[in-house]
Amino acid sequence: MTILSVSNLAKQFNNTYAVKDLAYQFTPHQCIALIGPNGAGKTTTLQMIAGLLQPTSGEIIFDKHKSIDRRTLIGYLPQQPVFYSWMTGSEFLVYSGQLGGLTKTASRKRSAELLDITGISEAKNKRIGNYSGGMKQRLGIAQAIIHQPKLLMLDEPVSSLDPIGRREVLTLLEQLKTEMTVLFSTHILSDADEISDELILLRKGEMIESGKMKDLRQKYQTTKITLQFLENQAFYQKKVAALPHVTRTLLERDTVQVIATNIETARQEILQQAVDEKWPLLAFKLEQATLEEMFMKAVNDA
Amino acid sequence: MEDILHSINWAVVAPLIIIQVILVIVALIDWTKAKNTNGPKWLWFIIIIFLNIIGPILYFLFGRRQQ
Amino acid sequence: MMKVLFKKEVLENWRNKKWIWVPLVFILLAIMDPITNYYLPDILESVGGLEGGAVIELPTFSPADAIMMSVSQYSTLGVLVIVLLSMGIISGERKSGVIELVLVKPVSYTKFVLAKWLSLLLLVFAAFIIGMMASWYYTNILYGEITFSMLLAVIFYYGLWLLFVCTVSIFFNTVTQSPGIVAFATIGTTAGISLVTSLLGIRLAWSPTNLSVYIQELLVTGDVSSELMYTTIISIVLIALILLASIYRFNRTFIRRSQ
Repeated sequence: MTILSVSNLAKQFNNTYAVKDLAYQFTPHQCIALIGPNGAGKTTTLQMIAGLLQPTSGEIIFDKHKSIDRRTLIGYLPQQPVFYSWMTGSEFLVYSGQLGGLTKTASRKRSAELLDITGISEAKNKRIGNYSGGMKQRLGIAQAIIHQPKLLMLDEPVSSLDPIGRREVLTLLEQLKTEMTVLFSTHILSDADEISDELILLRKGEMIESGKMKDLRQKYQTTKITLQFLENQAFYQKKVAALPHVTRTLLERDTVQVIATNIETARQEILQQAVDEKWPLLAFKLEQATLEEMFMKAVNDA
Repeated sequence: MEDILHSINWAVVAPLIIIQVILVIVALIDWTKAKNTNGPKWLWFIIIIFLNIIGPILYFLFGRRQQ
Repeated sequence: MMKVLFKKEVLENWRNKKWIWVPLVFILLAIMDPITNYYLPDILESVGGLEGGAVIELPTFSPADAIMMSVSQYSTLGVLVIVLLSMGIISGERKSGVIELVLVKPVSYTKFVLAKWLSLLLLVFAAFIIGMMASWYYTNILYGEITFSMLLAVIFYYGLWLLFVCTVSIFFNTVTQSPGIVAFATIGTTAGISLVTSLLGIRLAWSPTNLSVYIQELLVTGDVSSELMYTTIISIVLIALILLASIYRFNRTFIRRSQ
């Protein structure tokens, strides 16, 4: 069962494609992460589905609802939402609801509910001009779901938030999944990994991988070695990268991540060299890596 | 000069003055409430007070931050 | 839907105090010249009396002249105020990005433009009509009688010119995201039409900028000339076309807008 199908979607700006040949079937009540580095075409994709941007080619079809304006079925939160700063939070929500097709009474009732759910009811009668960034983000989510859309789309909803705010938003999205399909973009793998059921990986406007998280985890399961040195992580990263069986290394905080074709041989090589050259090795860990290799590939090649 | 002050019918001229005063007051109320303006806030105070008639209008058109 | 969009505009104009200052400014523009011109002889006499010298020939003004003083203030400063207060009505919302949250909802692009247009007209016409009433009041007590029906005629015919200016401003609002360019283009367009009209003279007799010329004739003769009739028809057609062009532009630009 699908709620929305996108096929051959493309957007051309001047002579370059921001999005090319995108195709995906969206299932109801799933949380789908649209992931990719900056400039991969995430925002363009969301704006096209939202109807803010006309695709150069391709189709966006809501099943069973072909004849009506698809904006009725969509809630959208841009990356940096801008509001009418002279309105109060409550006024803006009621207005959004009315634009979404609710009557004034219905919109007022639903606004009150959403102000509670998003935790900004105390500030409902304050001008939005006085809201903090976090409050605006919550108001943004509230306006996106006020007309009970079938598909909620959020552009980088957690990237600008602090850890607590991020946690709150992710929890809220998990709850919303029971009522609608959630599609959100992010450039951080762990956000996607945490709450999404499906994933679409974009690189330079092209979908290079997609599917259920469960299947992807299996497909990309590899073993990786995490190394930590007393000092000079970058220097040893180069040394490790030069070893014959190592395919890829990545410096992450103060550890060196190693992925190899043959993990057993690579392990031997690393340990041998560490002993020979007296490397100041602090930690050596073998781990199951799942989606990271896939994501690293996309990011590194971008 | 006194002749002219006597010859003017103040009932006729009063609205002209009253309207200007209201404009200045409304502009000042808005100016007081405004968190920030386009350009330095104190400058707008001077413009509203000292530029006869057009001061408040300039403030409403260019001084207020809209969005 | 139209009502929701329209009400938001009216509320916004109340919150940003346009409903207070625009009518006040229009009253000022309307009554300033009739009052100063009325007292000008006294002022000059008192100043000139001290010098004891030159005799200044002052024209005497008819009631029609007095009404035209207000109209000519509107043609310059009034138009300027209209252009400046409407320059960001749509373009400003596009520039700031707030329009995104409106247009992701199932809002008709056509109704969006119409609501903006109507709300601008409501404000401008309220201010203009109040201003003309004030002008009429002063004209009657200082210069002599103008009938109420004549006042209505002036409001109707000159209102067409202001309607034209408002519509041109809305059109440029749908073309660009920069309020400054909207103001510049609107003033440029109206000034350009005036210039071309005066250069071509008789060949452009039905240009909307001639409305004020024929209104003056109307005030003197009391008859609606055929030129005024045709100019009215041409103006209405032009306004309708510009409005349609704005709606078309907005539907197209917004959807095809690049990032």
